Amino acid sequence: MSVFPKRLMTVAGLLSAAALGLTACGGDATPADPTPAASSAEATSAETPSEPIDIEYMHRLPDGEGMTTVAEIVGRWNAENPNIQVKATKFDGKAQEMITKLETDINANNGVCLAQLGYAEVPEMFVKGLTMDVTAEAEKYKDNFGGAYGQMSVGGAVVGLPQDSGPLIYMYNETEFKALGIEVPTNAEEFVAAAKTAAAKGKYIADFEADEAQNWLSGQSAGAGAVWYSAVDDAWKVDAASDQSMVVANFWQELLDSKAALTHDRWSDAYTAALVDGTLIGNIAAAWEVGFALDPLDTTAYAGQWRVAQLPQFGDAPMTGPDGGSGVAVMKGCEYPAQAMKFNNWFNTQVEDLASQGLVPAAAEAAATPEKWSTQFGGQDVMAELVTANKNLNADFAYIPGFSAVGPKMTEAAAAAAAGSGKVADVFTAAQDASIAALKDAGLPVSEG
Amino acid sequence: MSTQAEAAPVRRRWSRQARHQMIYGWAFALPFFLLFLLVFAAPIISSIRSSLFKMQSTGGGLFGGGERVEVFAGLENFIVAATNTSFWGGIGRVMLFGVFQIPVMIGIALGLALLLDSFLVRRPGTWRLLYFLPYAIPGLIAAIVWGYLYVPQISPFADAFGTSGGQPFFLAPGIILASMANMTTWTFTGYNMLIFLAALQAIPGDLYEAARIDGASGLQITAKIKIPLVRGAALLAVLLSIIGTIQLFNEPTVMQTLASWMGNDYTPMMMAYNTMMGQMTPSGAGPASAVSILMAMVAGVLAVIYALAQRKAD
Repeated sequence: MSVFPKRLMTVAGLLSAAALGLTACGGDATPADPTPAASSAEATSAETPSEPIDIEYMHRLPDGEGMTTVAEIVGRWNAENPNIQVKATKFDGKAQEMITKLETDINANNGVCLAQLGYAEVPEMFVKGLTMDVTAEAEKYKDNFGGAYGQMSVGGAVVGLPQDSGPLIYMYNETEFKALGIEVPTNAEEFVAAAKTAAAKGKYIADFEADEAQNWLSGQSAGAGAVWYSAVDDAWKVDAASDQSMVVANFWQELLDSKAALTHDRWSDAYTAALVDGTLIGNIAAAWEVGFALDPLDTTAYAGQWRVAQLPQFGDAPMTGPDGGSGVAVMKGCEYPAQAMKFNNWFNTQVEDLASQGLVPAAAEAAATPEKWSTQFGGQDVMAELVTANKNLNADFAYIPGFSAVGPKMTEAAAAAAAGSGKVADVFTAAQDASIAALKDAGLPVSEG
Repeated sequence: MSTQAEAAPVRRRWSRQARHQMIYGWAFALPFFLLFLLVFAAPIISSIRSSLFKMQSTGGGLFGGGERVEVFAGLENFIVAATNTSFWGGIGRVMLFGVFQIPVMIGIALGLALLLDSFLVRRPGTWRLLYFLPYAIPGLIAAIVWGYLYVPQISPFADAFGTSGGQPFFLAPGIILASMANMTTWTFTGYNMLIFLAALQAIPGDLYEAARIDGASGLQITAKIKIPLVRGAALLAVLLSIIGTIQLFNEPTVMQTLASWMGNDYTPMMMAYNTMMGQMTPSGAGPASAVSILMAMVAGVLAVIYALAQRKAD
C-alpha cells in the first residue's frame, strides 16, 4: 500500500475534526446584531406593523388544571393581531434560575422581548442593564393599572407593566374559630391572645414560615409601616431593623416563646400535614396562595370552612405589605418595544383569565372571584377582600438591587429563631447587614448613619 | 503545535521514516488535542479570566444608571473568598464529612469486591449489577428519595428518632452531615466496588495457583495477594472520593429544601453556585469563579498530600 492514500485520509480526518471544532465555536460566536435601533424606529411609528413581527414572551405562570392557559390567552391575541405574533414560553424552574437564563441570553443577544419579573427582582435587572426604559409607552396604559404600576418603575424609568400583586392577608378556618370561641384577630394583641387560647386546645392559628422569611417577614414589616429602603442625598438608606420591624419581631417572638404558633416551613410536608389534620387553622399568607393553598383540604371535612380576612394591624393604620407579585418587563434588545407593550397591556388586563391562574390581577378592573375560590372559601367574595388588601398596601415599600442575596440570610436567621437557637429580631438585623453588603458589592452608594 | 515546528530543526538527522511517523503521531493525536482545548482548557482559562474581573455600576445614582462594566479586579475576588470565614467553614464541613465517609465507603466497597471475586458467591454478575444500581440513579433523584426517608411526616422510621435541637433528628445541625454521608455511601459504594473488582480480575491467575501450591489458605491469598495488588485501585478510588467530597453539592442542596437553617454556603460548591446565581454577597461570575478555583486548589492540595503519603507508605 502506498503512503499517499494514507496521508490523504489523515488530512481528511484532520479537516473534519477541525471543522467540528470550528462549528462548535461558531455557534456561540455568531455576532447576532439585529440593529435594533433601525428596526424599532421604523416600527414605533405604527403600532400595527404592515409586516408580521414576532415577539417572544417568557413566563412562569402555573398553567395548571382548570386554568385558562397562557397559550390559550396568547392564542386569542394572535388571532386578532395577525401582524403582532406572540410566542409564549413557560419557564419551568425557580425564579432565580429564570433570571440567570435571561441574563445569559440577553448578553448573548439572544434574549426574549418580554419576561415575567418579580417586583423584588426589577431593580436588580435594571442595574444589570437587562431591561429597557419604556416609560413613554407605559404612560399610555398607566390608567389601566392600580398601585402596582409603580413597582415596575426604577428610579423614574418604567420598564414594563404589572401583572399581579401579593398583599399579605390572613386565612383562617371560620368553623374551628367559632368552636374555639375566638374572633378573627384585627391587631397583634388580639392575635397573640387568640393564638394562646387555640394552642391550649392543640390548635394553631399561625405558622412561622422560615423558608418564606424574605418576602413574608419583609412584607409584615411593611404592613407595620416600615420602609426598608429609601434614598437620602442620592445614596441608599437601609432601615430594615427599624422599630416597625421590631413590632413584627416581638409579635412572633411572643408566639414562638409561648409555643402558640407552629414552626413548619411553608413548602414542607409538615405544613401540609398540619393543614390536613386540622392542627393548623389559620395563617398569614400572600394573596396568591388563595389560588392553591386549600387544595389539600378538598377531600377532607375542612373543605369550605376557610375564609380570607385582612392582615392584623401591626401599626397605626390598617396596612399590609407586599409578598411577591410580578410584572412583565420589556427586556434589553427587544426589537419592537411599542408592539410588545401593546400586547403587555392587553395580556395583563385579561383579568378573568389571570384570576383563573390563581393571580390577583394588578389591573384596575377587578376580576370576579373564580368559582374554585368561591367553593373552597364557602362562597365568600374572596376577590373583594383581596382588592381591599391591595388598596392597603404600603405604597412606599420598595426593594433594592441585590435583594435576592438578602433573603437567604433572613431564612437562615428565621430557621434559627424557629428552632429556638436565635431570635426573630435577628432576622431583621441580618437583613440590614446583608442589604448594605449587597449594595456595596454592586458598587452603589450607601449612606450609613 | 509550536513544538512540532521547533523540534524539527533541532534533530536534523532524522530519517524520512521517523519524520513520517512523527507527523502521523501528531495527526492522530490532533483530534484529542482539539477536544482537550475545547472542553477542558477553554473553560478553565475562561473561568480564570473571569475570576480576575468584576461587574461594577458606573452610571452613578441609586441604580448605577442601569449600566455596568466589567472592571479588572486583580486578585480581589480571591482575597475576598479566601478571607471569608464561611468558605473555610464549608471546607471544614466537607473535610469532616470525608474523614468519616471515605474510609467507610472504601472499606465496604473493597469488602464487596473481594466477596464477589471469591468463589463464595453464586451469580456474581447479578450481584455486581445490583450493588452498582444506586450509582445509575441520578444523584439528585437519589438525594430526593433519601430526603423523603429523613422527613418525619413521610418517612416510615424518622418519627421514631424524635427531634434534636428543635429540628427533626436526621435534619438537625449535628446529624445532617451523617445523613448526607449515608446518601453518598449508598450511591458510590457500588461504583468504587467496580474499580476494585476490575483491579482484582486483572490479577494473573498464576499467582493464586502458585500460592495454593505453597499451601496458602483462601484468607491468606486475600490478605497477602489480592489486597496488596489492588493498592493502585484504592489510590484511585480514594482520590476520586476526595475530589467528589470537596465538590459536595447535590445532597446538601436537596437537604437545604428540608432544613432551611443550612444557609447558602454550607459547602464550598453551594457557595460557588449561589454566588453565581446572585443569592449571596458578593455575587456574580467573577467572585463565583474565584470560589471555584480556590476550591479546586484545596482539592488539588489534598489529593497531592494523600498521593505522597500513600507513596511513602509503600
